[in-house]
Amino acid sequence: MNTVPHAAPAPIASRPTMIEFRDVHKYYGDYHALRGINATIKAGEFFSLLGPSGCGKTTLLRTIAGFEDISSGAVLIDGKHMADVPANVRPTNMVFQSYAIFPHLTVEQNVGFGLRREGGTSAEKARRVEEALEMVGLKGYGKRAAHALSGGQRQRVALARALILKPKVLLLDEPLSALDKKMREQMQVELIRLQRQVGITFILVTHDQEEALVMSDRIAVMFEGQIAQLADPETLYRRPNSRQVANFIGVMNFLPARVLTEAAGRIAIDVQGLGQTEIDATQAPGAITGGETSVGFRPETLTMLYEGQTTTERETPGTIEEVVYYGDMTYYDVRLDGVDSPVRISMRNVFGRPVLDIGTRTRVAWSAGALVLFR
Amino acid sequence: MKGQGLRLYAILYLIFLYAPIVLLPIFAFNDATIISFPLRGFTTKWFAALADLPTLHLALKNSLIIAVSSSVLATTLGIFAARASTRYEFPGKGGLMGLIMLPLVLPEVIVAMSLLMVLLGIGIDLAIWTVILGHTLICTPFAIAILSAAFQSLDKSLEEAAYDLGESKLSTFRLITLPLVMPGIISSLLISFTISLDEFIIAFFLAGSEPTLPVYIYSQLRFPKQIPAIMALGTILVALSVLLLTIAEYFRRRGLKKTGAKDTGGFL
Repeated sequence: MNTVPHAAPAPIASRPTMIEFRDVHKYYGDYHALRGINATIKAGEFFSLLGPSGCGKTTLLRTIAGFEDISSGAVLIDGKHMADVPANVRPTNMVFQSYAIFPHLTVEQNVGFGLRREGGTSAEKARRVEEALEMVGLKGYGKRAAHALSGGQRQRVALARALILKPKVLLLDEPLSALDKKMREQMQVELIRLQRQVGITFILVTHDQEEALVMSDRIAVMFEGQIAQLADPETLYRRPNSRQVANFIGVMNFLPARVLTEAAGRIAIDVQGLGQTEIDATQAPGAITGGETSVGFRPETLTMLYEGQTTTERETPGTIEEVVYYGDMTYYDVRLDGVDSPVRISMRNVFGRPVLDIGTRTRVAWSAGALVLFR
Repeated sequence: MKGQGLRLYAILYLIFLYAPIVLLPIFAFNDATIISFPLRGFTTKWFAALADLPTLHLALKNSLIIAVSSSVLATTLGIFAARASTRYEFPGKGGLMGLIMLPLVLPEVIVAMSLLMVLLGIGIDLAIWTVILGHTLICTPFAIAILSAAFQSLDKSLEEAAYDLGESKLSTFRLITLPLVMPGIISSLLISFTISLDEFIIAFFLAGSEPTLPVYIYSQLRFPKQIPAIMALGTILVALSVLLLTIAEYFRRRGLKKTGAKDTGGFL
C-alpha cells in the first residue's frame, strides 16, 4: 500500500454539503437497483462508493452525473434539486471506466473538448489546455493522437478533460480497474494529490476495498442497492457494523459468542475458545439483539507467542494447521483449542523470527479491545 | 502433397470466378463483331461507338440518378434504424427489425410485382422515382446490416462523455458519433450504390419508359452487332467498380489508422 503525507484537513463534518441523496430509489422494470439511499457528501471530500458488482454503486454515481433518472426521492448538488437538470449542464464531470477518450481527436482536442462551449479567445483556451495537461503530468503531449497513448496516459487525459471545466464534483467510475497493479498504486497516490490540489469533491466508484481505504476520506459500503455502512476508512476497518461489511473489507475471523450481560456501556460475552471477557459497547457497532452472536477480529490483532514469550494480553493455546508465506508476512491458520474452525493470524517476518511448521503447538495472544461483536 | 490439392482448388476457383470478367476487355478491344477466338486485331472503335448511342446515355444518366438517390436514402434510413436498434430498447423491437430486414431474403421478383401492382392500383405513373423507391426498399436492409455493426462497435461512454462535457445530444452526434461511424456510412453508400446500379428486375418492372443501364444492356443483347459495344461498356463498368472499391478501402484504412481501431475486415 502507498502512503500519502497527510495534511491536516478540515474535519469532514464541519464542511458544507455538496451532494445529498434523499431516499433515492431506482427501478429497472421490476429490478430494484437502488433501495432508499440516504447520504450526504461534503464539499472537498474524497468519497468512495464501495461494493461488489451489481450492488448499485455505478448506478448511484450515474444519478449524480444525470445519466440515470431516479424513480423516486431526490438528488441535490450544492443545495439544488437535480430532477430537471440534464447531464450536460450539471456541475459535474465524469472519468469513465473505459476513459472514453475520443479516438479521432488529438490529446489537446480531447482535453479542450469541454471548452468549445465556453467564451474566451483560442489563445486563452490553449493556455488552459496546457495547464490541465501539466497538472496531470502530460506536458508536451498535446499534439499526439489520442489512440496512440498507453492506458495510464489515457487515464490522465480523461482526468485533464474532466477537470478543465472546474466542476464542483468529479465522478470517477472505476478509473483504475484497467491498469496493472503497479500503475494502479501510482495513480492512487496521484489522484489523492490531485484532489488536494484542486480541492473539489471526488466521488469514486470501486470494488477494490484496498483502493477505497487508501484514497477516501469516507466510504459508503453498498450491498444490493443499499448503503450498509458509511464511515471513514479506519472505522470501517476496525468497527464494521455487520459481518457482510467485515467480510468485504479485509480478512476477518469469526467465532461464535454469547452475550451474558449488558450494563453501563459494557458488554460481557462468552466467546468459543477464548472464554469469558468484557468489551466496550462501541465494539458492537451493529444493533445487538442479545443471545447467540459472533465476534470478529482481524488477523493482525492476534500475535503468536514463541517459546518463552509472555504477554500482558490474554492468551489461548492452539495448533498450526496451515502456513502461507508472503515474504514480508506469514499467514498462519491456527485451530484454537475448543474451536470448530481455524482462525487466521498474520505475522510480520521481522529479522530473527522463524517461520513455524504445520502441526506446531502454539499460544495466541489477543486483547478484548480488538474484538467486534456482531448481531 | 497435402497443400498441392488445396492450391489447385484455389486456382480453379479463381479461374471460374474471374475468367468471364477477363474475357470482357479482351473482346472489347477485338476488331470483330463476332465473339469468338481467334482474335482478329486490336481496336478501340467499340469504345468510340458508345459515344453515338443516345439511349445508352439516357440509361446511364437514369441509373446514376437512381443509384445516388437510393443509396443516400437507404443509408439515411439505415442510420436511424441502426441507431435505434443498437441504443434503445422498445417493445416489439425484435419483430420490427426482422420485418425491416426481410427484403434481404424476399425474392426480388415478388417485391417488384407487388410494388407494381400497388403503384398501378393507386394510379401512379411509372418513372425514375418509382425505381428509386424500389431500390431504397431493397438497399435499406444492407445499409442497416453494415451500419448496425458500425454503431455496435461504438463505445456508448464516448457519447456520454461528450454530453457530460456540455455538448447537446445533437452536437454530440455530429462531433463524436458521426465521425466514428463514417467508415460504416461510406461502406453503406457504396454497397447500396452498387446494388442499385446493377439491379435489373425492379428497374425492369417499375421504370416505365425510362430504362436503366442493366435494362438497356438486356434490350441490346437482341442485336448481335451491338454486342462488342456492350463488352466495351462492361469493361468500363468493371474498371470503375475496381476504382471505386479501391478508393473506399483507402478511406476505410485511413480512418482505422486515424482512430487506432482494430481492422475487422473490409472489401479488399
